[in-house]
Amino acid sequence: MAGGGGFEAAESYNKRQKKYQRGKKLGVRIDMTPMVDVIMLLLTFFMLTTTLATPQVMQINLPKGEEEDVVKVEANNVLYVRVSKLGNIYFSQGTADNQETAPENINIQNLRSELEARHRANPNLMMLLKFDRGMKYNLMVDILDEINRAEIDKRYTFMPMEGLDFEIVERAGG
Amino acid sequence: MGKSRSTKKPGINIDMTPLVDVIMLLLTFFMLTATFKAAESELVEVTLPQSVNTDSTRLPEQDILTLTLTPAGDIWVDVDSYEVRKEVFGDAFGIGLYHPDSTSKSEFELTGKVGDKALNRTVLLLDKEGFEKVINDLRIALKNMSDNARDYKIVIKGDKESNYGVVEDLMTSLKATKNTRFALVTDLKSD
Repeated sequence: MAGGGGFEAAESYNKRQKKYQRGKKLGVRIDMTPMVDVIMLLLTFFMLTTTLATPQVMQINLPKGEEEDVVKVEANNVLYVRVSKLGNIYFSQGTADNQETAPENINIQNLRSELEARHRANPNLMMLLKFDRGMKYNLMVDILDEINRAEIDKRYTFMPMEGLDFEIVERAGG
Repeated sequence: MGKSRSTKKPGINIDMTPLVDVIMLLLTFFMLTATFKAAESELVEVTLPQSVNTDSTRLPEQDILTLTLTPAGDIWVDVDSYEVRKEVFGDAFGIGLYHPDSTSKSEFELTGKVGDKALNRTVLLLDKEGFEKVINDLRIALKNMSDNARDYKIVIKGDKESNYGVVEDLMTSLKATKNTRFALVTDLKSD
């Protein structure tokens, strides 16, 4: 008995609801497909942009430093790239008598064109990168990036700054 | 009653399938990003420098040995395999810390934090010899696990504000352990 009563109550509730919704429900045949298409496009867009933002890498190969790997470079084929603690970049080119030209301050914006010009003059140029320990890593990446972008033979190696290098940089303006 | 049913039924004929498709896509998308966030939170976070990098090499997917440089001058050694970590660091969530500047203490030793974040991992403090040994051990452990088939790709994730001196010390150590190929991780610069 109790069960039957419950059923009746449920039915009357349904009836009431149907009556209430009848007028509204008739018109709601909305085609979802265009909206779905747009949302799918948006999704694809966002997914692609996130993929593009993933970090990339800059490959570095250091010389192995073994005896058979030692490369002799002519003194006049050496380009010293010194960077001071303050982040100033100085280029000086080796000369045949083991000396080097006076350091020239190079702006990072002109670095690439300068490198290309110097490599056109001497295609065998080897870059010796002497970075001050107090310099920011950001600048190192910027310089390597410019070297990678320049249309030159990417021949470079890292060398620690020594007493003479500090003197040269100091004299040129720090 | 029969009449009311027949007038109502044609109106609620909404096909749910496309909606479900979209919801599934959204779900997949958010689940994937959530996974990335979770993995990120157990790492040491740094602000990467930007580069244009014309050869557009992407970060490898697996077998990466990450060396993270913080602005405080610390080097964090981490790999992506739990088994290798367990073998070398003695803990599946172990991480190595090397502070090349012997005149000062690492940021983690001083504050117990990295930047302003606490690190929920077992930290193994390393000196120069220990660091070079760990680099070797990590490679040996992976090779033993995979019958020499796999090898670590070394990537350096440097904070743009860290000093070049740390990078120089790191390169010296890498060279000493015969690791002359490595990669610097950068963000793409729109130029």
